[in-house]
Amino acid sequence: MAMLFRTHLRLARTSIKENRTRSFLTCLGIAIGIASIILILSLTGSIADLISGEIKDIGANLIVVRPSTTKDSVTSIVEELTASSSFQKSNLSLSDVQAISELDNVAAVTPIAVSANTITVEDNTVPSTTILGTSPEFNSIEPLTLKAGTFITDKNKTNSVVIGHTLSLLLFNSTNTVGKTITFRDRKFIIVGILEKIDQPINFDNVDFDNALIMDAETMAELVDSIQIQQINVKVTTTNALASTAEDINNTLVKNNSGDTNFTVNYGDAITHPASTLLDIISKMLALVAGISLVVGGIGVMNIMLVSVAERNHEIGIRKAVGASSRNILMQFIFESLILSIFGGFMGIILGYVLAFLVSVITPFTPFISWEIVAITFLTSLAIGIIFGTYPALKAASKDPIESLRHYR
Amino acid sequence: MDENIVIKLKGLTKRYGYGDTESFALKDFDLTIKRGEFIMIMGPSGCGKTTLLNIIGLLDRATDGEYILNGEDVASISAARRAKLRAKKIGFIFQNFNLIEDLPIIENVALPLVYVGQPRTVRLKNASDALHRFHLGEREYYLPSQLSGGQQQRVAIARAIVGHPEIILADEPTGNLDSRSSNIVMEELKAIHEEGNTIIMVTHNPALTAYATRVINMLDGQIDTDIKTVSDQNLPQPISVKIKKKKQNKRRKK
Repeated sequence: MAMLFRTHLRLARTSIKENRTRSFLTCLGIAIGIASIILILSLTGSIADLISGEIKDIGANLIVVRPSTTKDSVTSIVEELTASSSFQKSNLSLSDVQAISELDNVAAVTPIAVSANTITVEDNTVPSTTILGTSPEFNSIEPLTLKAGTFITDKNKTNSVVIGHTLSLLLFNSTNTVGKTITFRDRKFIIVGILEKIDQPINFDNVDFDNALIMDAETMAELVDSIQIQQINVKVTTTNALASTAEDINNTLVKNNSGDTNFTVNYGDAITHPASTLLDIISKMLALVAGISLVVGGIGVMNIMLVSVAERNHEIGIRKAVGASSRNILMQFIFESLILSIFGGFMGIILGYVLAFLVSVITPFTPFISWEIVAITFLTSLAIGIIFGTYPALKAASKDPIESLRHYR
Repeated sequence: MDENIVIKLKGLTKRYGYGDTESFALKDFDLTIKRGEFIMIMGPSGCGKTTLLNIIGLLDRATDGEYILNGEDVASISAARRAKLRAKKIGFIFQNFNLIEDLPIIENVALPLVYVGQPRTVRLKNASDALHRFHLGEREYYLPSQLSGGQQQRVAIARAIVGHPEIILADEPTGNLDSRSSNIVMEELKAIHEEGNTIIMVTHNPALTAYATRVINMLDGQIDTDIKTVSDQNLPQPISVKIKKKKQNKRRKK
């Protein structure tokens, strides 16, 4: 059996070599499918990696409360994608923040509320600026490095803001802007701090700090119609209290919202799930498209194998006449399609990582390589070879030798 | 049972179609073939010669009747078993050579050995020996298309004998050859026969019957005439069989 295995392998190699161009193109079909899967897995992996690294930096004592919609239903996904505002309607409120802060073991609590609004600087209006509403306590949970000045404090929170590095350059063409004023909804604010450049648009807060204007959430609530809290960050006093505090928060919020349970309380690894549902949906859709292209590649393998079987009808007849069983012929053709798809898989893995590296050059992603991804894609190409090779191989095996021998060219 | 009998056919029938379209390629065909016979089967087109050869060669199945090959009833065995017997016991030679065009001739000759499970080095060694015997030793890595018709047929004969089969079946082996090549091929077959091989050959050429030990004329799926030109005692016997017999005789004496 082992010897037949080697024979089949050699046979398949010869046959593939004879039709070099055709085999290469078939492999390419598989390779493109595998490469797109590698690319997507590598990028989503790098996002998860980025966020979990960030959580590690902040410390393990973090609990995150997020509003949750019924994400699984198709309609809500469509709504989310088509809505003019990309922010979902949150059912968390500032009173929830207040309630959490009164619980035991809570060291600090801060809301994350984001909106896009027009601000005015020296008579220039700047539309769609990201405004992050939070509280002075934000700094004790997740200290941001300041280039100059201080973070907002309890004393100055009603008329002070901190701005991101890139936003500062956009507004004033300078990063030396502490003390300058901006106008938001007819109210003047003094810039008390500039953030150091962070360059991490993907993080568990889902806020691009470089482009954000940070102000106090309560002040923000006075100026905008309705404040959408997308997340509440809670720091507990000790790691041991994580579970029990999460439980307390859950109970408090249920009581506060009169039984409404449309929120999630996460801690530990659960926080690292991609913060943005949009990103999640996009990556799932991309994976689906990649899967489709893989199926197309598989059909390519099947097509070429059917051509190969038809072309070698005479050969099949000869082989059967000299003693090949149907099973021998079946194995011969299955091996051929397996080699095509595995070779395509290898090409795809290399191509995928090359693409991931190219993407990492122009984006903040670092390509994420793990043996799991390689193993999954390798097994996928193996499965493609078997699934799409079986039908042509069965067709070859079931040929009547007398009929095939008559097929003299 | 006479252990010199290689093939025994009894009441063999091959029917095509049903009802009005029913026709018989073979009808109640009886034939016993002994080891070392060189049988030529002649007859007009459509008399069932090729069908008979395909059934004996286990490529086809009879509709009805008995077929005993080497003492084993093979009339109704599985396809896998038939393939195994084809690999071990039967060598085919065809009119159109039927070599695989993409493989060098040495690989073509070694092909039957693949399916009896011999290692590659042994296969190539045996194939090389067979090719040397037919004076093609220097062209082992030629492709079939680079050889003349006569040479290709000699490759096919080498392929037929490489696995030392019980019977060699030849379907008009000289049909596509000019008379010179045809003579060479027949001389090779004769040499193989003299080593004790059993050969069944279908032909249209009455001149070739000089090589045979038995000539069968077929008509409408049945035997018309059956003439033996050499008595059974004078048939050549393969060396291996002689040795086997001696051993058995010794055992009996003990």
